[in-house]
Amino acid sequence: MASVSDMYDVTWEEMRDKLRKWREENYRNSEQIVEVGEELIQEHASKLGDDIWIIYEQVMIAALDCSRDDLATTCLHELKKQFQGSHRVKRLAGMRLEALERYDEAFKMYNDILQDDSTNTAARKRKIAILKAQGKSTEAIRELNEYLEQFVGDQEAWHELAELYINEHDYAKAAFSLEELMMTNPHNHLYCEQYAEVKYTQGGIENLELSRKYFAQALKLNNRNMRALFGLYMSASHIGASPKASAKVKKDNVKYAAWAASQINRAYQLAGHGTKETKCSLKAVEEMLESMQIMPS
Amino acid sequence: MTVIKLTTQAYCKMLLHAAKYPHCAVNGLLVAENQKRKDGQPVLCVDCVPLFHGTLALAPMMEIALTLIDTWCKENKYVIAGYYQANERIKETRPNQFAEKVAARIAENFSEAALIMVDNSKISMSCYDPAISVFEHHDNKWKCRDASIDCCEDWSEAQKIMSALLEDRSYDSLIDFDNHLDDLRNDWTNPEINKSILHLC
Repeated sequence: MASVSDMYDVTWEEMRDKLRKWREENYRNSEQIVEVGEELIQEHASKLGDDIWIIYEQVMIAALDCSRDDLATTCLHELKKQFQGSHRVKRLAGMRLEALERYDEAFKMYNDILQDDSTNTAARKRKIAILKAQGKSTEAIRELNEYLEQFVGDQEAWHELAELYINEHDYAKAAFSLEELMMTNPHNHLYCEQYAEVKYTQGGIENLELSRKYFAQALKLNNRNMRALFGLYMSASHIGASPKASAKVKKDNVKYAAWAASQINRAYQLAGHGTKETKCSLKAVEEMLESMQIMPS
Repeated sequence: MTVIKLTTQAYCKMLLHAAKYPHCAVNGLLVAENQKRKDGQPVLCVDCVPLFHGTLALAPMMEIALTLIDTWCKENKYVIAGYYQANERIKETRPNQFAEKVAARIAENFSEAALIMVDNSKISMSCYDPAISVFEHHDNKWKCRDASIDCCEDWSEAQKIMSALLEDRSYDSLIDFDNHLDDLRNDWTNPEINKSILHLC
């Protein structure tokens, strides 16, 4: 079995740096993390210094994702030896139990942590994750709402709540959760764009107008956000064709839709520059936009 | 009753999509050739277009995808004939409200549209069993078709090729519509994977 360093011609420092990048940007490419991390741990442990502990943690979680209980147990063992009695390590032990679907034992482990330290947010969030894994969405939502009453600034939790609501088709509450995120992160184009999508899904002319505004805002924050551009096009087109819209509103939205369409075409042309395959995409997009062209009535 | 069957290419790309994002829900469309069928001839889904992963139940990108792929279909003499979804949880095999809505929308245009749910627990390296359940539209409800009916045109071929693709980790290079929206150069028709499948046949 060829080693990662041989296959990709990388040094151990590059492997370590890659792991750091994936860790900092919260990537879930578990198979790659296991491949790179396992080799780093086995061949280069002595060179890693204190970095090794956080790498053990990262590789352990990735190993759980890949059903590599052998690797996960090894990492956990090393961490337990080094950090005896640590809550952070105990949480990892709980996650291993979750991966083995031993939810009751995992639950107990997290409760033990909380008895010792009632403010341990990681343990509370794992308990909610167990509810989600068991399909108990309503309870997960309830617990998450309670958690957020105490820890109002936890963005990861607000986003998780928004997604839980979307999966339950409760778009109004999803919108509310995303509003919290947008308030604390006004420059984040992804939250704006997702909020716009939720409003669009809710439907009705007021929501469509809001949706269009937020797609436009997302585009202002990041002019390469294709979802925002497509969203702007769709929402403006729908408003432009809606019998409930006034003549002026219709006229404005037809203009916005036309602008968006030209930007979409331009984006596809730039992307398709040269390649044969994307030319068929470009043609399909052009035709789609033409067929959807709204004539002001 | 018209029966839906999948070619090896359609089946494999669908499962590769599920395999690429094991921690997410995924969905996509199935397309068939747009031609007059004789009575009793099954609808053959010849290709699959993977759409989204993660949060599926939002409308705007789905509408864009449906419209764009519909246009692409018309150019290639295809028609959108089905919708597939793999839920986030391994034990969750029933279609949710969103899946039923999208499938119903497709059925407006193609009356024999099928709703296919991927059974995550059956995805394995050896591909022992077909990992899907087919739902058909009867009296405004989606009912699960008898599992004993063959869902693939040639199951032993599909099984062999699927296994080989999983070994090769071909799912790493599968492109879905979400990947396309992230970078327009990503091609959701997956020509490279189509070539690999043809090569393995």
